[in-house]
Formats: sequence, C-alpha cells, structure tokens
Amino acid sequence: MPITYDAVKALSADLYDWSLRAVPADTKDGLRHAIGTESQDGARKVLRMMLTSAQKAEDEDRFVCSDAGVPVYHVTIGTAARLDGDIKAAISDGFDELVGRISPPLLKHVTNPLTNERGYKGKDMPLVTWDVAGGADWVEILCQPKALGSGRWAALETFSFPSLAEIEAYVMKVVMQAGSQHCPPVIIGVGIGGSFDVAARIASKATMRRVGSVNPEPTLAAMEERLLRAVNATGFGPMGTGGDTTALAVHVDYASGHGYTPVAVCFNCWINRRTRARLHNDGTVERFE
Amino acid sequence: MSASDHAGFRTLRMPLSREDARSLRAGDMILVDGEIVITAGLPTVQRLVACAEDGHAPPFPLDGGSLLHLGSYSQDTTDGGLEILYMNPTTSTRFNRLMPTLIRHFGLTAVGGKGGLDAGCVEAMREVGCVYLSFLGGGAPLHSAAIEAVREVAYPDLVAHYRLVRLAVRGLGPLTVGIDAHGNSLFDTLQHQAQDRMPAILAQLAKDRAAAGN
Repeated sequence: MPITYDAVKALSADLYDWSLRAVPADTKDGLRHAIGTESQDGARKVLRMMLTSAQKAEDEDRFVCSDAGVPVYHVTIGTAARLDGDIKAAISDGFDELVGRISPPLLKHVTNPLTNERGYKGKDMPLVTWDVAGGADWVEILCQPKALGSGRWAALETFSFPSLAEIEAYVMKVVMQAGSQHCPPVIIGVGIGGSFDVAARIASKATMRRVGSVNPEPTLAAMEERLLRAVNATGFGPMGTGGDTTALAVHVDYASGHGYTPVAVCFNCWINRRTRARLHNDGTVERFE
Repeated sequence: MSASDHAGFRTLRMPLSREDARSLRAGDMILVDGEIVITAGLPTVQRLVACAEDGHAPPFPLDGGSLLHLGSYSQDTTDGGLEILYMNPTTSTRFNRLMPTLIRHFGLTAVGGKGGLDAGCVEAMREVGCVYLSFLGGGAPLHSAAIEAVREVAYPDLVAHYRLVRLAVRGLGPLTVGIDAHGNSLFDTLQHQAQDRMPAILAQLAKDRAAAGN
C-alpha cells in the first residue's frame, strides 16, 4: 500500500491544525524548569501565564496565538517510500482544505510582499522544504507555522574564516536586535557554514530540535550551553519585560563550506509551534509531536 | 485565568482616567475592566493618523481612550450581533512612527500590545499621561476569555484583524505596564542594560570557550 495523495493531504492539514492548539511537551517542560530558575517575581508570573495559556488552549481546543502564521512544512522523503500521486500538490491542497473547514477560522496572513495584500493563498505558499532520507520507507512531514516572533528577527551575515569568538559575538548581536520583541523565551537556531541557503536551512532546522536535548557533538554542546547562559544574561526576560529567561534553548549546527562562512540566527517564539509525523508504506501514521 | 490566578493584582477601569494612568509605574502588573479599542492593522493606524491630520472624526470617538495593538477575529452572529472568536497582541514597534500623532491628537490614556514602543512614543506618552500595557503573546485563550461584549466594529473593508474594534472586557490580564506616563520604559531600560552587560557577557563567553578547549 503506497503513501497516497489523500494521506499526505489529510496529514498536512491535521499537522497545521494541531500545531495551533498546543505547545509541545518539551517546551512546556522548559517553561516549568524556567519558573524554578527565574529570579524575578514578575517574570515568574509571566511564565506561569504562559503555561496557563497553553493548558487552556489544550483543554478548550483554542488557538494559543491568534496569529496562526503561514504554513511552513519540512518534508523528508525516504528513498524506499512508495508514493502514489502528486504529494507536492497534496500539501498545498491540504492547506486549502483546512482553511475551508477549520474552526475557529484562520485570519488572513498570507501576504503578497509586493503589495502587502493579505489572503489565504499566494505564490509558493505553503512554504515547503524537501529533503531525502536514504533507505527509509516513510515520508516525514514537520509543520512549523511562522509568524513575526518566529520569523521577523532572523538574520544572516557572511564572514571570512571567522573565529568562534566572532561567530558567538554575531549571535549576540542578533539577540540584541530582537531585544524584547520576539515573544521570549525563545528557541534560538544557529547555522554555521555551508552556503547562504544552507546556513539558513540548518539554523531553521536547529530550532526544530527538542528543548532539553543535548547536541551529540561535544564542541556544539559546549557552545550551546555557553550561548544559552549568555543570552539569558542579557535580562530581556519573558515577553521582554525583564528576567533571566530570554531563551529556553540555543541549538547550533554547521556544514562544511569554503572558508567564507555564513552564520544564520533564527528564533521561535515561546509557543514553539511544531508538529511532526511519518507516513509509512504500510499505511500507518506515526505521530511524534 | 481563574479567579485565584487574578488574586493580588490591582484592577483598573478602562478607559483609564488620566489620574489612574499617571499612578502606574513601569513594571506594575494590573488587570483591566471596561472598554478598550483594538486593531492589529497598519492600514488602520494610517487611517486614524489621516483623521488626526485632516481633522476628520474617526469611526468612533477615541479621545482619552485606549488604542491597543491586538488582533481579533470578529464575525456576525445569527441574532445580528457581533462576536470575537479570539484576540491576541501584535508587535507594537511596527507602529512606532505613527503612534505619537495618535497619542497626542486623541490624548490616549493607554496604548499596548507586545514588544514596546520607541523613544518618540515614550515622550508623547509622558506629555499626555498615557501608559503602554504589555500583553502576553500566545495568550489568546486568556485574553479571549476576558471579552464580555463587542460594542462596535469599524473598517469592515479590511481583513478581520485590521478592523477597529471597540469591546468590553472584564479581568483582562494581568498586563505589565511596559512604559509609564513618566518617561520610564522597561524596554528601553532593558536594551540599555543588555548593552551595558555585553562586554562582560562576551568576556564570559571567551572564558567558557577557553575552559572547553575551544
């Protein structure tokens, strides 16, 4: 039984829908942990409100944020997956179907960048990145809707043979540019090297890693730890009104490159919208988050 | 939030009196009852600036009231009324350039949203006696539950979250006073504080790199 157009369409729509109504478990754990470490009373109150909001969204089937963002998907196709139908069209059609049926309705956030007109449809929307997994017999779809707090403050700069000190200073520069405005505490993704597009992609992918997970590469694990301490020493705090909790996690990845080294830094706001599932060749759907 | 989550916070009536606005200090956390005016639309704020500059009346009076950067999904109900399905803040700094005109012209007592406003707005707020209220982003379930009634929706030609909406709320918050009417801005203070701390933060990163052998 192959992986069909219908299955991809239905799952794409569901992943988007689910992402709007819950905060991932690892992220809620990160918020709970932060309440224990946060030294400022007002900041602890804001963190508690975040957990209350997340719980109320789940209990009452509400959106956590009114800005449902735009649909962003990362699709990984196993080379042993058997496909039946146009799965590219299925993702786009799934979003269209969701717009028609979702309750409460979505606000119109898909924006034509040339006119600033907003609607539910637009060129190249949904935004999909495609990847291939050698030997796998599944298709994995990760949905990560993007809005201001999870998109607006990202930045990239290209250096020549930078030291780690220069790279880390740049991360802090981007953190300062975002300041109080990206609905902290955020999840920060850093992508180093490769090329312009690859650095941005690995930074974005780094935000998808679970909060609390440890980077398997010791050099990166150490960098993540010290950058997290550095970001939280800035004092912007939850919702940027002061505190020790500006980020829940800093996740770093890299790709080898030429020596000109792009460094990309991006953020996900505290609700960290993210859902992920696999469609298997035998027709089963395996939901991870 | 439940009643117990609201315990211990001062509740203020909206629109705020000038006296109440001036009584608040940056960092205070409050609840609000009463009437608020909201929009998340740049075109909407541009239209209101045009009203101020051309001397036209806005769709409903804003004098001495609030203008909060909150987006909402409003729709007609079967009995001819209006309802809001959800409501949440948007980033206020997008409106930096336009807000001083509105704060001064309409003598606003409260503005708000998330992320704060710049020095030009802080000065206008100090002049007229106006505060900035910081809302929880990702707080749609909490903020929406505080809505009692929708009074009026203007600019129906715009997409839902851009419309200008006047509504009654009860127990909205807690909200953090991000900027007070005395020129104090948490956002400005925190940005300067972070800048001041940056040499020490970068020095600590260097120490940590050395300790890790990087």
